Amino acid sequence: MLSFFGRSAIQKVITLFFVSVVSFLIIHIAPGEPSQVDPLNPKFTPDLVERFRKEFHLDKPLYYQYLLFYKDLFTGKTVSWKDNQPVLKKIWERFLNSLPLFVVGTIITWTLSFPIGIRSALSRGGVYDRSVTFLSYLLISIPGFFFAYILIILVVNFFHVPVIGMETFGIGDSSWLTLFMDRVWHLLLPSVLGATGGVAVLSRYVRSQMLEVEGQDYIRTAKAKGLTPEIVHYKHALRNALLPFVTMFGLILPGLIGGSVIIESIFSWPGMGRMAYEAILSRDYPIILTINFVSAVLVLAGTFISDLFYMIVDPRIRL
Amino acid sequence: MTVKRILIIAPAVLILFLIQSYFWVPTYDEQTRGNPERLHEFITASTGDASIINPILSADSASSQIESMVFEGLIDRDENLHFRGRIASDWEIFEEAFFYVNEAAHIPSAGRLNAKAVADMIRNAVEKSDTEDGELRASLDCIEEISLIAPRRFTVFKDEKGEEDKHNNRIKININAPARIKLVLSRVDQDLFRNLEKVLGKGYFSSFQGVKYLASDPEAGDSKLSEYAEELLPSIEHNPILVFHLRPNVIFHDGHLLDAGDVKFTFDAIMNPKNLSPRIADYEPVKAVEIIDPLTVRIVYKRLYSPALATWGMGILPEHLLNGQAIRNEALSLGKDPDSFSIRQSTFNRHPVGCGPFRFVEWKSDQYIKLEHFTDYWEGPPVYKKYIFRIIPDLLTQEMEFYAGTVDNYGVQPFQVRRLKEDPRFQSFSGVSFGYTYIGYNMRREPFNDVKVRMALGMAIDMERIIRYVLYGEGERITGPFVKQTDFYNHNVSPLPYNPEAALSLLKEAGWVPNRAGWLEKEGKRFQFTLITNSGNDLRKAILAIAQDAWKQIGIDVSTDIIEWSVFIRERVNKADFDALILGWSMGIEPDLYQIWHSSQTHPYELNFVGFRNREVDDLIVKIRQEYDHARQVKYCHNLHEIIAREQPYTFLYVGKWTAVLDKRIVILEKDELGDRAYKKIRATKTGNYFFDFNKWIKLPEVPVFSMDY
Repeated sequence: MLSFFGRSAIQKVITLFFVSVVSFLIIHIAPGEPSQVDPLNPKFTPDLVERFRKEFHLDKPLYYQYLLFYKDLFTGKTVSWKDNQPVLKKIWERFLNSLPLFVVGTIITWTLSFPIGIRSALSRGGVYDRSVTFLSYLLISIPGFFFAYILIILVVNFFHVPVIGMETFGIGDSSWLTLFMDRVWHLLLPSVLGATGGVAVLSRYVRSQMLEVEGQDYIRTAKAKGLTPEIVHYKHALRNALLPFVTMFGLILPGLIGGSVIIESIFSWPGMGRMAYEAILSRDYPIILTINFVSAVLVLAGTFISDLFYMIVDPRIRL
Repeated sequence: MTVKRILIIAPAVLILFLIQSYFWVPTYDEQTRGNPERLHEFITASTGDASIINPILSADSASSQIESMVFEGLIDRDENLHFRGRIASDWEIFEEAFFYVNEAAHIPSAGRLNAKAVADMIRNAVEKSDTEDGELRASLDCIEEISLIAPRRFTVFKDEKGEEDKHNNRIKININAPARIKLVLSRVDQDLFRNLEKVLGKGYFSSFQGVKYLASDPEAGDSKLSEYAEELLPSIEHNPILVFHLRPNVIFHDGHLLDAGDVKFTFDAIMNPKNLSPRIADYEPVKAVEIIDPLTVRIVYKRLYSPALATWGMGILPEHLLNGQAIRNEALSLGKDPDSFSIRQSTFNRHPVGCGPFRFVEWKSDQYIKLEHFTDYWEGPPVYKKYIFRIIPDLLTQEMEFYAGTVDNYGVQPFQVRRLKEDPRFQSFSGVSFGYTYIGYNMRREPFNDVKVRMALGMAIDMERIIRYVLYGEGERITGPFVKQTDFYNHNVSPLPYNPEAALSLLKEAGWVPNRAGWLEKEGKRFQFTLITNSGNDLRKAILAIAQDAWKQIGIDVSTDIIEWSVFIRERVNKADFDALILGWSMGIEPDLYQIWHSSQTHPYELNFVGFRNREVDDLIVKIRQEYDHARQVKYCHNLHEIIAREQPYTFLYVGKWTAVLDKRIVILEKDELGDRAYKKIRATKTGNYFFDFNKWIKLPEVPVFSMDY
């Protein structure tokens, strides 16, 4: 057990190092320069551009810039080039904004997918199964932004309530319950939209997993023993069908930092996705690199957690 | 069976919980009509957030929109684009001119003269009224004072970069300056010395040998030395002077009184290299900012630079919050190194304090910025109590919020104009924007170095149809590089007609004739080139295809390419590696075209990337830059516009039009001396700025009925 932890930790640190090098190189080799060094603005004299380069250490060799950047990152001193705000503080604020969206979206995805998937597996080939299949493919293929626009126009025109932002604009002083419920309402549309794709995909997985397990010999044995169908499906089959999802659960962790550019932009949600997107457009290297690094850490942590889960739920690989 | 039950109940409860929240949300009606406070708020929306609210540091439009509310400059422009006083109540512009007495020069009818004699000679000329030359008379008439500056000795040290070794060599230069004459002029006169040569003899100024008065130690090369002479002992010098008289009792939002020190501080902050201000180029020609008294500032310029006055529209910073001591204290309290900490890092940029009509209240990143009217504003507080700047990145959601009444104005997209302009629910404004789109030809390359070819290419494109179909009619033709609403634009220049036949005959004159396959050929070579533009701009992409097709129809083989912006700029534009390209310029009101059209700006990384060189144009550009008189500047600009239209270095395509809609209940509140209130419809200014009277805007509970449209 301990050796597993040790090995895994060393592997992950090495991976992280390579990720940091590669992402640093990609960003610096990619065309385009920070907007402060934008040569087509007549107001920026060559002299000033040169000074900005110096300020941002862009005049130094790449390996030196790399060292400087990660030194600043680990001492918490990196600042955004756009507005000189500390990067970690900015990311933390945005993270807190994106978090509820992510949590609610994930809960919707995971609570809805299972009943839908199980039901269609059990009624395989029936009307329910076919219509769910149709709906899933429909939801997977409709672009999210289009769906979002339709929903916004419908809700605004029929219910006359605001849907964008994290709370009703200018709601001011109200009781905490109203404020809370207002926030919940504003979470509804974006998180449902964020979850539609997830529900469509995940319920398909659940269905196929269930079908696979239902065909196993031990299920036939259970049925032959005379157990009620309920027990067979929900105890014997479901438990075994759940195994692969344990892995998937660990892998949703990186989604925490990604956010969704499109949903966040349409709903004016001040989240991570939008910040990352704007940072990429203005080549705000400190922000891009920090987000990149943090998400790499989260991916590695996610795989670690799913390894761990797997060891707990599946005794076969606990060697 | 519990598992089954949980699987069904959990999502059901979750969904019910989420949906019930609908009943807690205030509807749009409650927010707008049911809320009396809403009438005192102006809410506007923007797709992007501000980055840094500090007029000397920001370079994005969202930030400057907020800055224009929170900060105030010495002057700004009124509805006719003339300057008007804000913090400054009035100002004067005059000039001090200097020249070194050229003792070696031979003056007609007098021979060689010493300083005193030269001064007397000019004095005589000023007093004598029989000069027949009108230009000379005009120059002499503005001379108010003539004085002598005695010869003096001084020493200057120069650091010279060694070429082989990296060490700097320090050179000591002893200067034995001859006598100098100082002329005080009542107005800035760029022709002064040219006209004075009529009195002192041709070449009096240009033959002055500054090098003779210089001695360097260690010995510097002759060319190097004359470079120094040019810098240290310039034969002539124009020093335009701006004196601003500030309004008394203008206060910052924190109650501190504004004075001349704040103006000087703002200038110093821009020039301080630590702050990395992008405005530094505008103020580089300033020689000194002097405080005469707490309400008078005197700004001396190194040389003639007519865009100078406009630069003082810059918002004034509060010295007491940002001076060296304050910044140092802030650095120490934040635990940062005070030596590297500058205004750029200060929290001031997120909590700005200025003396504009609105006071900063709150900024939530990517959500909103709230301002409140400043009750002690020198011109009286704005009628609106609050100004709220919402950040809504998506245009469709912006539009929905506008219909719902939680945003007060909306910038209409071209395809919506026809629908929304006539909508009786809103008042609409439209205008021509400050920028144009063009096709630029690389004039270093064949066959674009021939004006006939460029003209023919322009005539082959049907611009009216591009405007009608690509821009939905939301564009106008443009013929030259000035803002269409200003006096500088020459409306007598007519746009190139659409005439493919005439284009063909022009090409024939240039030697291009159709071959058997229908392609144009000259000396066996087919007319063939590549037209490029950047990706991400659908308008340019459409024009690319239209131009390609139009040129193909007259037998030119054009291929096209769309390139990612940064590669486009770095590899193609900066290195001038292109045949023809589609791009746009945004313009300012000032008619300074030096960087885009002067022939000294044709090197790689400079903005005259089409390689346009024209001596006449160079001359006019410099003259416009140095001319302080509006009427004369207009004359030069019209002339310049004509030449550029004749030379067709670009095919000028169009300027875009914009349309905005506004809640109809918003009107202008006018109060007369008796305190009687009258409402007026909002009118846009000449440039289309409908926000000009914003401080007088008021939102009424009902749509007002105006008896007559005035």
